[in-house]
Amino acid sequence: ALNLANQLCQYGYFFPVSDTKNLTVKDDSSLYRFQSPYYWPWQNRPPDNVEYAIYLAKRTLRNKQRHGLEDYELEALGNLRKNLANKWDFITMQAEEQVKLAKVLKKGDKIVSDSQERAYWRVHRPPPGMVSSLEQCPVPTRCRNGSRVRKRTIEDCKREVELLKNSLLRTRVKVSQALESMVQHVETYAEYDPLIVNTQPSNPWVSEDITYWQLNSPLVEIPTEKRVRRWALSMEELVSDPTGIQEFTNYLRKEYSHENIRFWMAVNDLRRSSQSQIQRKVSEIFEEFLAPGAPCEINIDGKTMEKVHQEMKSPSRFTFDAAQEHVYTLLLKKDCYPRFVRSEHYKSLLAAGIQPSQKKRFFGFGPTKKKASTSSAPNPSLLQQQAPQGTMVSCGGALAKRRGSDRSLSGSAHELAIAGVRDTRVPHSHSQSNLSDIPYRAEVNDEYGGTDPESACRVKKPSVAVVASVSTSEDVCPWESAPEPRSRKNSSQLDSCSSSSDISAAVTEVSDRFRRTCGITQQNTLDGDRRGQSSRKLSTASFVEQRRASVSVPIRHTDIRPAVSSFEESSPAIVTAPVSPAVASDTDNKTEEFTSTKTFKKSSSLTKTCSVTGANAPIISVSSVTDDTVTDPNEQKEEDEPEASCSQPLAPLAEPDAESPGSEIPPEPEPSPDPEAKSNDVCPWEDEETCKVDAPFVKTYATLGYL
Amino acid sequence: MSREVSTKISPVETIESLAKEAEQLKIKLEDERQKLNDVTLATVADRLEIINYMNVKPRRTLKGHQAKVLCSDWSPDKRHIVSSSQDGKMIIWDAFTTNKEHAVTMPTTWVMACAYAPSGNLVACGGLDNKVTVYPLSLDEDVTLKKKTVGTHTSYTSCCTFPNSDQQILTGSGDSTCALWDVESGQLLQSFHGHAADVMSIDLAPSEIGNTFVSGSCDKMVYIWDMRTGQCVQSFEGHESDVNSVKFHPSGDAVATGSDDATCRLFDLRADREVAVYSKESIIFGVNAVDFSVSGRLLFAGYNDYTVNVWDTLKCVRVCLLYGHENRVSCLQVSPDGTALSTGSWDCTLRVWA
Repeated sequence: ALNLANQLCQYGYFFPVSDTKNLTVKDDSSLYRFQSPYYWPWQNRPPDNVEYAIYLAKRTLRNKQRHGLEDYELEALGNLRKNLANKWDFITMQAEEQVKLAKVLKKGDKIVSDSQERAYWRVHRPPPGMVSSLEQCPVPTRCRNGSRVRKRTIEDCKREVELLKNSLLRTRVKVSQALESMVQHVETYAEYDPLIVNTQPSNPWVSEDITYWQLNSPLVEIPTEKRVRRWALSMEELVSDPTGIQEFTNYLRKEYSHENIRFWMAVNDLRRSSQSQIQRKVSEIFEEFLAPGAPCEINIDGKTMEKVHQEMKSPSRFTFDAAQEHVYTLLLKKDCYPRFVRSEHYKSLLAAGIQPSQKKRFFGFGPTKKKASTSSAPNPSLLQQQAPQGTMVSCGGALAKRRGSDRSLSGSAHELAIAGVRDTRVPHSHSQSNLSDIPYRAEVNDEYGGTDPESACRVKKPSVAVVASVSTSEDVCPWESAPEPRSRKNSSQLDSCSSSSDISAAVTEVSDRFRRTCGITQQNTLDGDRRGQSSRKLSTASFVEQRRASVSVPIRHTDIRPAVSSFEESSPAIVTAPVSPAVASDTDNKTEEFTSTKTFKKSSSLTKTCSVTGANAPIISVSSVTDDTVTDPNEQKEEDEPEASCSQPLAPLAEPDAESPGSEIPPEPEPSPDPEAKSNDVCPWEDEETCKVDAPFVKTYATLGYL
Repeated sequence: MSREVSTKISPVETIESLAKEAEQLKIKLEDERQKLNDVTLATVADRLEIINYMNVKPRRTLKGHQAKVLCSDWSPDKRHIVSSSQDGKMIIWDAFTTNKEHAVTMPTTWVMACAYAPSGNLVACGGLDNKVTVYPLSLDEDVTLKKKTVGTHTSYTSCCTFPNSDQQILTGSGDSTCALWDVESGQLLQSFHGHAADVMSIDLAPSEIGNTFVSGSCDKMVYIWDMRTGQCVQSFEGHESDVNSVKFHPSGDAVATGSDDATCRLFDLRADREVAVYSKESIIFGVNAVDFSVSGRLLFAGYNDYTVNVWDTLKCVRVCLLYGHENRVSCLQVSPDGTALSTGSWDCTLRVWA
């Protein structure tokens, strides 16, 4: 009602009696007076300046006190006098006339009509800064009443007739058919509509939590499960998503048929290039895809080829349209795309897909809490948590801060180191938990409390986790064969975190922490039963851990350098690059973990790692580890380049780098876990990996308990 | 019909004959269309459940413009918004934090169009200066230093958009044409003639490879254009007043329009006809802007009566009404990922709803 009243007021149907400045209706007992119908906006066309001039002039003729002009009105009067100089006599005459007439009226009437007039002009000539609802769009050709259709020329008519003729010939479908498909489309996509169903984990605008955007940024290593499912809806869905196109290309590359998609993308790019580049790009595309003996010759039929050759005579942005159409509909859409959707590659993507909602369900407090902190102010919150944890901790915090948030891990590593030096149990745990934040600790505790589920989950994990675990146990060599699927996922997990992290430095920090915790919480996931539907990050986390395990094997055996280089060799392509840093970071993680073996924390995230260490323990010497870590950075640097060339991994670089310095220090505390690990039987552990038997896990547990 | 009237007035003989021919063709066309009109949208949508609960609330208010907000556009990063105003300012907002990141002063008032480039590194705007100008965005320096005028119309620029590329701009203008420009060289790549009055709004077909766009005009017509040939490929009439806003359905098979006649309509491209009218007796004000939710189920429409009505596109009923602005809602857009709705108003503010 207030709105309605306000509108009526602003349009000038009535006006406040006492308040001469504003035209708003307040919900109090102030009085309003109806405008006389003569002044209603629909009664007359917008008033012209002459009338306004008369009105202003009239007021100048009257009592200064009551009818004095405002500044802006005086200014307007001055302007009008200049502009309407030729009519000024007439205006003053009119004004005098009206003043005379007004004198005849009774006093009450006079006040009313004065105020009405005044309100009218306040609507139509508002004081500066006031918005008028009646203000006309000053657009020249857009006049309100009629005459807006411009004169038509013969061309216009011809064009229209042509158009109508064409539309008569147009084939159209039955309305029922068209509508049915529209309804189906809407039904299909309803679940992807954040304004209809709730987004998972949450709508950033509502919850202030940008995790949703991080998970769904244009290029991620691990897309959400929902997103992957969406790719299966149609080819268009797949190719409109950068990550989709990337996965599709990867898949086709494996099949040695990615020239089609590359050609398609190149032509798309051509069509949108700036005019100056057209010539160059046309010939480039021709050379690469169409010329006889081209490096990536695409397979199109003779007729299309002929067309292309014809078009090549006058290169334009549309030269390859026919060929593109051919490739798109016949090859990509009818052949490659269905195969992609049915492929193992797609299925594994789907299985690995992040499911934000599930995570929430399983670990309500841990991850969510963390996210909350992400959204608001990660740094302060982190520091806050650190604050009470003693000098050492705060020092670590400061470090983290100084090194920039994206290196938070390094900071934490330092902390760890310091903690290690002090070599007291409690600080360890503190610093650790501090790294990964409180929620994480909570998880840990939680986890620790329930060993059963954990071991159970252990059992499940191998089954889920692609080929990975098998190779792990065996030795260095199998590693080479195994890595592809696994490493990809692992690295991608890192990536996804880190990629999301570009959003803001702060976010990075959190995501780092997040990643960490992921690794840590992995077991939680597991106990949450992650068979078919792996839960969100956690699933990936599990991969990470697995990788960790596998990685650790070679590393411990000798020293990192050979190991890393072997990675490089084994998978020189895109996949490798991200892996190795990941590996490195793993080691670091591990070392860190070592440091804290004694604490709860270790128990949670490390159970697995721990077991690994256990296995390797005999072989490792402290010094070797140190070596590893020292060499690490170099290795990583070497890998920087390949990484840069591959899709995302810049961020992950930072991580391992950050970690490695920290890891140089930890050796001191390390020995303590080692012996413990040693005490753990090596063989059972291997068993565990290969045979997926319960027992070894239990054993590990025993170790943990012992620790 | 008004077009016919106007053509008959014109003196030249051939125009009259052509107009007559057009008239006949129109009747034939209507017959053809009618033949296939076997069912209404509401009946087809009968099996769907009613949306009776919408938890859409105002989440952000962006204050900073000194005058009416005329146009806004989401950045592809889903959180930035560019908006333009009658006071000649263009502001780039981080809508999530409500911070202003850039404020650009234009040489003219009434900046009626603005758009974000797909890369997010470029914005374009235009208005009563009859031009379309691009500004590369950078945090280090004044963005006006690198501004570049890309195209010039013979009347005001009413709308602009980047067709899936930073290298091209598509504009609609008061000179009743649309035009496609090359950003780098300022070259006119294609112009689109056909409307009989000011083009008020354009929208690209959603498909990645799509080469078509739709335009709505003060001649009450809605045209679908082929960007490659510059030809109009389809036309729809039905509105009784200016078409202020057009938007492709996410499926790409239909367009929604908003008009001064206080209705929104849905035209299906394959059925080649109007398939739905969204109106209510109580709604008597014109529509300034329309947009779909990402599924196409909801149609948001901003009205002159300060409200946003949310329509169920399939059941053709109003789902709810978003009230908050204190003046006309002039522009409205759903964010690229569909998580939020931005509205701009003559009350000088923008709001984000989710």
